[in-house]
Amino acid sequence: MSQIDPEQIKVILATDCGSTTTKAILIEYIDGEYRQTQRGEAPTTVEKPFANVTAGVLNSVSEIGELAGRRLVDDDGHIISPATDSEGCDIYISTSSAGGGLQMMVAGVIAEMTAASAKRAALGAGSIVMDVIAANDGRRPHDQIQRIRDLRPDMILISGGTDGGTTDKVVQIAELVAPAKPQPRFGSSYEMPIIYAGNKEARDAISSVFNEEGFDLQIVDNLRPVLERENLGPARDKIHDIFLEHVMAQAPGYEQLMDWTGAPIMPTPGAVGDILQTVARLQGINVVGVDIGGATTDVFSVFDETFNRTVSANLGMSYSISNVCAEATMPNVLRWVPFDMDERELRNHVKNKMIRPTTIPQTREALMFEQAVAREALRLAYKQHKEFATTLKGVQQQRTVGDTFSQQTGGMTIVDNMKLNLLVASGGVLSHAPRMHQTAMLLIDAFEPEGVTMLAKDSIFMMPHLGVLASVHPKAAEQVFERDCLVYLGTCVCAKGTPKPGKICFKYELSGDCTESGEIGGGELKLIEMGMDDRATITLTPARGIDLGAGPGKKLEREVRGGTVGLILDGRGRPLVLPEDRAACQKTVQGWLDSLDVYAEEKEPVAV
Amino acid sequence: MGMTGMKYAVGLVLAVMVAWTTQSFAADITLAPPTDVTVEDVPNDVGTQMLVKWKASLDELNDASGARALEGYAIFRIVAQTGDGLESIGEQAANASEIGFPANFEFGNIQPIGSVSYGRTEFVDENVEAGTSYLYAVAATGPGDTFSPLAVAGMAVTAQMEYFNEGKFWFLIIMLTISSVIIGFVWYAKRGGEIKVRPIAGLEAVSEAVGRATEMGKPVLFVPGILDINDIQTVAGITVLANVAKTAAQYDAQLKVPTARSLVMTTARETVEAAYLGEGRPDAYNEDNIYYLTDEQFGYTAGVQGVMVREQPAACFYMGAFYAESLILAETANSIGAIQVAGTAMPSQLPFFVAACDYTLIGEEFFAASAYLSNDPEQLGSLKGQDIGKIIAAGLLVVGCTLATLAVTIDTWRGGRIAKLYIEDNILGDEGLVPNEDKVRVIDADIAAELESLSQQPHGGGGDS
Amino acid sequence: MAKAYTPGLLVTRHKKHRCIRRLPIEGDVKVAVGDRVVADDIVAETALPGDVNPINLSNMMSLPPKDVIDCMLKKEGDLIALDEPLAQSKGMFGMFRTIVHSRYEGTVETVSPVTGQVIIRGAPLPVQVRAYMGGEVVAVREHEGCEIEADVAYVQGIFGVGGETHGRIVMACDSHEQELTPDCISEDMTDAVIIGGARMTVAAIKKAQSVGAAAIISGGIDDQDLKNLLGYDLGVAITGREDLGITVIVTEGFGDIAMADRTFAMLKDYVGQDASVNGATQIRAGVMRPELIIPLAQVPADTHDRDSETGELAIGRTLRVIRDPWFGMIGEVSALPAEPHVLGSGSKARVLEVKFPSGETAIVPRANVELIWE
Repeated sequence: MSQIDPEQIKVILATDCGSTTTKAILIEYIDGEYRQTQRGEAPTTVEKPFANVTAGVLNSVSEIGELAGRRLVDDDGHIISPATDSEGCDIYISTSSAGGGLQMMVAGVIAEMTAASAKRAALGAGSIVMDVIAANDGRRPHDQIQRIRDLRPDMILISGGTDGGTTDKVVQIAELVAPAKPQPRFGSSYEMPIIYAGNKEARDAISSVFNEEGFDLQIVDNLRPVLERENLGPARDKIHDIFLEHVMAQAPGYEQLMDWTGAPIMPTPGAVGDILQTVARLQGINVVGVDIGGATTDVFSVFDETFNRTVSANLGMSYSISNVCAEATMPNVLRWVPFDMDERELRNHVKNKMIRPTTIPQTREALMFEQAVAREALRLAYKQHKEFATTLKGVQQQRTVGDTFSQQTGGMTIVDNMKLNLLVASGGVLSHAPRMHQTAMLLIDAFEPEGVTMLAKDSIFMMPHLGVLASVHPKAAEQVFERDCLVYLGTCVCAKGTPKPGKICFKYELSGDCTESGEIGGGELKLIEMGMDDRATITLTPARGIDLGAGPGKKLEREVRGGTVGLILDGRGRPLVLPEDRAACQKTVQGWLDSLDVYAEEKEPVAV
Repeated sequence: MGMTGMKYAVGLVLAVMVAWTTQSFAADITLAPPTDVTVEDVPNDVGTQMLVKWKASLDELNDASGARALEGYAIFRIVAQTGDGLESIGEQAANASEIGFPANFEFGNIQPIGSVSYGRTEFVDENVEAGTSYLYAVAATGPGDTFSPLAVAGMAVTAQMEYFNEGKFWFLIIMLTISSVIIGFVWYAKRGGEIKVRPIAGLEAVSEAVGRATEMGKPVLFVPGILDINDIQTVAGITVLANVAKTAAQYDAQLKVPTARSLVMTTARETVEAAYLGEGRPDAYNEDNIYYLTDEQFGYTAGVQGVMVREQPAACFYMGAFYAESLILAETANSIGAIQVAGTAMPSQLPFFVAACDYTLIGEEFFAASAYLSNDPEQLGSLKGQDIGKIIAAGLLVVGCTLATLAVTIDTWRGGRIAKLYIEDNILGDEGLVPNEDKVRVIDADIAAELESLSQQPHGGGGDS
Repeated sequence: MAKAYTPGLLVTRHKKHRCIRRLPIEGDVKVAVGDRVVADDIVAETALPGDVNPINLSNMMSLPPKDVIDCMLKKEGDLIALDEPLAQSKGMFGMFRTIVHSRYEGTVETVSPVTGQVIIRGAPLPVQVRAYMGGEVVAVREHEGCEIEADVAYVQGIFGVGGETHGRIVMACDSHEQELTPDCISEDMTDAVIIGGARMTVAAIKKAQSVGAAAIISGGIDDQDLKNLLGYDLGVAITGREDLGITVIVTEGFGDIAMADRTFAMLKDYVGQDASVNGATQIRAGVMRPELIIPLAQVPADTHDRDSETGELAIGRTLRVIRDPWFGMIGEVSALPAEPHVLGSGSKARVLEVKFPSGETAIVPRANVELIWE
């Protein structure tokens, strides 16, 4: 890899090797700014009969080449670099989640403390955490050992103890891992990489435990040097290194791919996290991103510059659809459907979708049901995210006598919907919904944003590419993110509290590109058309006990932007409550769908 | 029955002795007797009381000479009929056919059952037997054992034992309400109903504090107060200790419990061992970590402080009764950077704990802890039921205060005054279910008088009504 | 995407099938290249290291961890029986000694001076890998396993539960449209692979279980019946490790759905033959479908080996709709419009026109059909 001069980069080629498709995009420097110009995709070729990831990459890149009229692949099957006027690209970058992505096992002493920090480090680096082993996870040691044996992780991260803290508990954990001799997923010649990021005083003891064949021990700084502070950077960087050196090198064709790229290949979710963090930092906002896939749902959040990511392993729209219905229960799914459905038939439909995951809903009823499932999947994933994204536990509190009756515990969630500025959606069911209104409605129903929140979707799942790009050329990444990656759906204004049906929930007054004023009643939803480039100032006067961001009953003024959907005013209250009675619920939901024109006759169809 | 027999025997002996000493003073009947003697059985009792009433002797009212002729009244009684038949134990009534005070009643021969000073017109005889009929008589007494003629009650009255004290009717209602609420909640909880107990931050923090100790490789210190096991706070502390020990067993943290009483040490050992066993970690239990220091308050305090400074525990729990040592302990542990959780019902020590500790269980919370921790339906249900009882009591307080205030301010408001009377006398007092008619009449008269006086004032009428 | 790729399930009267038999860890391979094996033959075996049981001696004897090693009565590598003394404390002047007995049987693996823990490893667990499918050993990977190849008739199911088994094929239903109910199953079906027609009921499966059948295969199953069978609601389609004592495979899907006529007819031709069945399903990237394999004594003359035929959609091809509203219906491609079409749901997708046997036609998204092999 040669040194890269950002000034010289005019043509950027990026690919993301997903588990089923490889997506390529081309970014060009046009008229003083970076724009994404072409995209192409092809099936991923990690598995038989091809067993070489580069085949899929070249297929997708060739497609872009044809579209752009630019030769990107030479006759020998190599990506042409550097670029000339009509050929090649200046830099080629890639992410990968093929072959199941990066799978890790983490261990710590206390599940809520060092083990939670270790999990955060692993998730933040873009891995799937298969299991968390902790001294207090409620399992007997031999069960833990059995579990370690059964898993086949790509690497193991061990933490535990503050610097100068417990030594024997960390060594105990290591003594569980070593005799279990976990087998890596790829090849038996591969040494299991172990990252130790715990108490520095236990390093010698840990070294002697893993001082045998089959382990590759790497020691980094403690990720929890004191309980009051996390230091995840060194562990995360080490995970990336090992991902490249060991894991990727084992996958077919990756060695060649690594040769081509101008920046290290990143795990797809790690790259998505990076771009969201970059954007949140540059714009000074709080962001939540969600990627709902067939098998899993990833939720990313950046609140006050603290990044968190969770993977809900069995919440997805095809492979895991049956699990969503089981976890959320059928009545909870059906409350979003405004008509009667036969439950037995429905259950069979769900299972058929599970065993034939590539089918698409053909009728409007099937689509409505699938989107109802999506709401529950997103709701559950976000709930898991809130439970995980907390302040640190085990921290000493400072008190005054004034706290007598308001003692707060540590480990409270840092996810605060009221402080949320931007909600970004991606993943098939959200970005390929026939109408953007459906996407917006799904997001509002599932995430229940409060106050003034911007809604956007990732147009063609470009965030992973931009995440890698941000590491070499942040400016280009931000420009493309802002102009081409996000499709703004609009802004939603949601009342927090329990508004009374029929009474006024809040009053609004718009000025700017859109002038309008009026009232929103309790339980009411309203859509105001505002175009993509429209900006307006909204003045909100909530009723007593209703909070729109300035506190209960307090008036506020905010800048809002339009989008493909517009401005959504939501007076349904938070938390969102649906009537218990099935018939009343159907009527209420139908009312909401009608007021937002969610399933109206098609205006602008989108290809699936 | 034996005791009562004894009493009568003694009474008889005394009576004879008194009779002998006062024999020489024949009753000099110059005093006017009291009139209208009435006797009634005291309602709502077990049948051991009689209420004797009379109208004052004329001599008490006409105190002309300046020297009061009347000293008081003496009350006499004879048994008219026992519960078993016509058997009499009274001396005079040996002749059963002739029930009543003999005409030739000798004051010197019979001891009065009681006496009251002048000015009183009633007497409660607390020494009667249920089911027995008594005839009462009252005589005015003057100086030098002079008696007025006997005023005999119109009829004999039987003392009744009542199964229900109607005066406490409201007590029954309140008790039934609260009991049924408690039973209802217990039943509800047992059937799997959810009873939400507000999360108690201090108890939620147990796992955090023990976890911190584990991560830092430091022990957990538990101080169960300085009082013995017979103090309810110590018992509550031991309940919390069971939970701390359970968490310590799960986390494999070292738990140290220095005690100031030997019995507390024994109890703590049992509790902790049970907790470790329950978690399947009997091998992790070490008896030597729960030890006795001294009974001396400050000797103990100094000892615990020493442990803190030497072993630097990462988590300290103070659960029990504390006095002056509270702040000394909490400040020491704060200085070594430990997470501290305190719980006590000592109001004077709470502010110190709140200021110096991370979490504090305050009074009630401390006692609710065992219900909260055990999640046992019986405890949860009764906790919830008691809360309802407290709400009812608080509601009555508010209503009563409001009514009382209003009734005093607007003294012509009949409803208010009667309601106030009803709360005072019937709900809180022992008038039973129906308001006392006499008192109602008094209120009515009072209001009538008030209104009259208002109507007589030329300008008073308009504004106040 | 340039090509319309419409995968279908493989059902063929002949293919060369190769299956890899592998040990979970290194061990001994019992066969050599060229050996002929039958389903029950053990082809490889090994011993998994036994369970690991830690005992915290330092706590049990109230000793600092580093002193534990001096108190051990057994050294690392020694065998220890249940309740045999493991360690003895030095006590005070030789008095008050504490003896700790082992709570496990096995070998003393390590004594840790840091934690004071002794780890006792239990007896090794033998693991045997059977041939599963009769055939010829064509390759041996030393210490790992072998590959077995045979000419087989092969049926891929859509979904199954339960692991590897084998048995003779018996037909329980007369037609591919007959529901598989308990009265179709008779007592003599012990160790058999029962072939049904349309939907099978949970009662039928339970009956098959009770007569000791090896596997039961039919067209469909109700989700509720599957839930009753398993005792839980299946969340993700990753199966094969259920302990039901019977392997269950559905060939078409959930609900009232008949087995494909061709599959039924083919299986009927092999009644009485031995079949290897595996219910393991994994619907993820790298999909794994349940299978039924019938090793053939002789290769049929006029069939060609079909392993990974890719489906090209063409007018006249037979296909099955795999999503409502025409779920399970079989028809022929009657038109292939090139332009995307707006569906009832509002989405735009590439579609095709299907003509059903009744003469009716329907527009269906290409994603919602699967080809049926002729």
